[in-house]
Amino acid sequence: MAPNKDTMFRSADMSLTQLYIANEIGREVVSALGELGVMDFRDLNSETTAFQRTFTQEIRRLDNVERQLRYFRSQMDKASIPMRSIYEFDNPFVSPSTSEIDELSDKAQSLENRISSLNESYETLKRREVELKEWRWVLREAGGFFDRARGQTEEIRHSLDNDDAPLLRDVEQHEAAADRSFSVMNIGFVAGVIPRERIASFERILWRTLRGNLYMNQSEIPEAIINPENNEEVHKNVFIIFAHGKEIIAKIRKISESLGADLYSVDENSELRRDQIREVNTRLSDLASVLSNTKSTLDAELTAIGRSLAAWMVIIKKEKATYETLNKFSYDQARKTLIAEAWAPTNSLGLIKSTLQDVNDRAGLSVPTIVNQIKTTRTPPTFFKTNRFTHAFQTIIDAYGTIKYQEVNPALPTIVTFPFLFAVMFGDFGHGCILFLAAVAMIHYERRLLRSKLDELFSMIFYGRYIVFMMGIFSMYTGLIYNDAFSLSIPLFKSMWKWDNNGAGPTATRDDGYTYPFGLDWKWHDTENDLLFSNSYKMKLSILLGWAHMTFSLIWSLVNARHFHTPIDIWGNFVPGMIFFQSIFGYLSFTIVYKWTVDWVKIGQDPPSLLNMLIYMFLQPGTLDNPEAPLYRGQAKVQVVLLMMALICVPILLFLKPFYLRYEHNKARALGYRGIGENTRVSALDDDDDEGHTMNGGRESFGDDDDGIAVITQDIGHGEDHEEFEFSEEMIHQVIHTIEFCLNCVSHTASYLRLWALSLAHQRLSIVLWSMTMKNAFAITGIAGSIAMVVVFYMWFMLTVAVLCVMEGTSAMLHSLRLHWVEAMSKHFMGDGVAFEPFSFKALLEEDPVE
Amino acid sequence: MANGWSPIIGLIIVAIFCAAAWIFAPKGENQTVWRSTLVLSAVSMYLMWGAITFLAQWHPIISPVRNDIRVDPGSGHRF
Repeated sequence: MAPNKDTMFRSADMSLTQLYIANEIGREVVSALGELGVMDFRDLNSETTAFQRTFTQEIRRLDNVERQLRYFRSQMDKASIPMRSIYEFDNPFVSPSTSEIDELSDKAQSLENRISSLNESYETLKRREVELKEWRWVLREAGGFFDRARGQTEEIRHSLDNDDAPLLRDVEQHEAAADRSFSVMNIGFVAGVIPRERIASFERILWRTLRGNLYMNQSEIPEAIINPENNEEVHKNVFIIFAHGKEIIAKIRKISESLGADLYSVDENSELRRDQIREVNTRLSDLASVLSNTKSTLDAELTAIGRSLAAWMVIIKKEKATYETLNKFSYDQARKTLIAEAWAPTNSLGLIKSTLQDVNDRAGLSVPTIVNQIKTTRTPPTFFKTNRFTHAFQTIIDAYGTIKYQEVNPALPTIVTFPFLFAVMFGDFGHGCILFLAAVAMIHYERRLLRSKLDELFSMIFYGRYIVFMMGIFSMYTGLIYNDAFSLSIPLFKSMWKWDNNGAGPTATRDDGYTYPFGLDWKWHDTENDLLFSNSYKMKLSILLGWAHMTFSLIWSLVNARHFHTPIDIWGNFVPGMIFFQSIFGYLSFTIVYKWTVDWVKIGQDPPSLLNMLIYMFLQPGTLDNPEAPLYRGQAKVQVVLLMMALICVPILLFLKPFYLRYEHNKARALGYRGIGENTRVSALDDDDDEGHTMNGGRESFGDDDDGIAVITQDIGHGEDHEEFEFSEEMIHQVIHTIEFCLNCVSHTASYLRLWALSLAHQRLSIVLWSMTMKNAFAITGIAGSIAMVVVFYMWFMLTVAVLCVMEGTSAMLHSLRLHWVEAMSKHFMGDGVAFEPFSFKALLEEDPVE
Repeated sequence: MANGWSPIIGLIIVAIFCAAAWIFAPKGENQTVWRSTLVLSAVSMYLMWGAITFLAQWHPIISPVRNDIRVDPGSGHRF
């Protein structure tokens, strides 16, 4: 059978294929198919858990490599080293061999070790540096304390010996004067640094535990100290505490350490202290050079990694996906072959076969990879080949539901109807131009924009750039029809109206026999009664377009019924539904057009009201609102006939299909057919041979195979449970359908009035914006006028883009979306399909991009 | 210039355009998209112009009334 050409009208022909792959080249085959991206593999091991599958080991190993690559990435981010973009590689999509993967994983391992050891030593060095810096601060600050404290020894002693008799003071004073050393006084001290926010509690605790027996001095370190572990800045204070007695000193040490202070040794002798400072300085400068060496080595290493990291990430990601797919295959122990089942577009089978042949030839294997087509009752997945232009439109439909296999694809007409209905609401030539130019710019810079990171709103607009493009074109057209450009008129042709009283007005008369050729007459702009006219016009426009759109959509249900060979859907659903809809709303549309074509002024008759006509048609069939002035002769009779037709259609719609289905079912049962799952068997037909053949269909090739394949064979039967015919269910379904259809005819027609409401709102809003900004600016003259003009123009333009184009555009788009999803698609869309999710590296990388 | 025949002439032109679009649509895998898009665009644009907007103005029931001219309030009615 020659397969049909795949078009967007119906989803592509799919075949369930079975692949027999030699175990040795399993990985190569799957990776080649991943590059092709046209096969949707079925999971043949759905009962086994992820751990029990064949290639779990490989996946774990690749997970580890992936983690290492992510570690490199985070280290590079930390060191702010850029990664070479994936787009700069010549071809990152060459599939590597197994040994190359092994090499890569070894390389990643050794690089990880190297980076982490470098990191570790860098951190140790950094910690040392911080310690030295703190020590230097302590030495510096403590020097100041000592000098000050020396002058205050008196007071210290005084405070220490507070309770003592003043008699002794002289002696000790003398002694202190002789030798002003603390050690002689048996005064010890503790010096160190502590985070600034802890200083208050530190002091309080010390004071309480030592009962005030201390002298504390502290000062702030002006620069922040960086914690090497987490790169956070900490403000710290230097403190020095003098106290009396060894035990107290020991206690102070313990308290300070427990509060997170770092203690440093300081010599009280100023000479020694100076030496200490000098030593610390030399050590610091040594350390700095070692640090910068380590840092540059680390950076060089990371830069080297960064040059190829993106490619590695892609390779590992693909490799992992390959093994995950291989895990879906079943393994035939006896024959050392992998067996896979996959859905693929029938048109791609040739490509698949040649690719597999290629892989085989490269591997030099004599056993070919076998591709079998299987006949099955399963529903094939729905697949549409889209291009850049159609993709966004297909997404609109897919967002609502997955299209049934081979039913009419609503996305095809949506390419026109979606932007067109949008434009009916958005009609303004100027705003249409803005949309069009924006879309053209996005399409022109497509390649560059695809690669750059976009914010959420813009990326959404960019995704729908071709929709915006079509919207722009149609908005310009409807703008011309409405004669609106930024709410101003476009006098392209001679008007059909002439102001009375030599152009003074206020009334106008028609230029006889002449109708404004394109769009609305511009003379209606800024008139007293323009709303009266445009409301009537736009309301009728909405009804007519809605009728056309719904009739168009309803016809697709006929096309679907013919394609699926279900004539009952034609006679039980389409025909009565169509008659019902046309005899009411088709008639309404006809009367609207008919009323326009009659020259009511000429025949000197008042035009009848269509709304009243419709109401009377239902409430008092056979009588007219105004019997003297009918729309046409015999109107009352025609309306009665139409109403009768509509009413007769309701029971047909309600009962024909379920009763026909019951009749079919009973006929089949009477002939002895049974459902596959039913236990009761007619003994005469209980013939194993026959049964086996009918059930197996075209699968004789492996029908007699052993266990490994039997599993698959069973699996095919599992998914599609034979549906039992249940009359009541069918009836309920049809009742719901009938009620829905009939009510929806009314509510959906009314729903199209949103076209009128939104286009009216859009037009009024742009008029208000113009009259509040630009019109005022035109009124000012002179230099002030030109300055005001520039300012106001910018304001007006920004508001036009932000409010009228973006906001109003979004709302019009949402309304158009609803008209498609609800009003149009409810007429024919079945939407119980299964999405086609091919195993494709391209899709994989798009979903989870490496950047 | 434009009279009652305009929508009919327009219809003929659109029909010719649709036929041409159907026949001359670029061959290849996007032929269906070209055909459907061109034909539907032509039909919907025709509907908007000829079948709706033109007909609505063919035999107008109301005529425009200027609002930039103040009618003397004494004259009894204001538009």
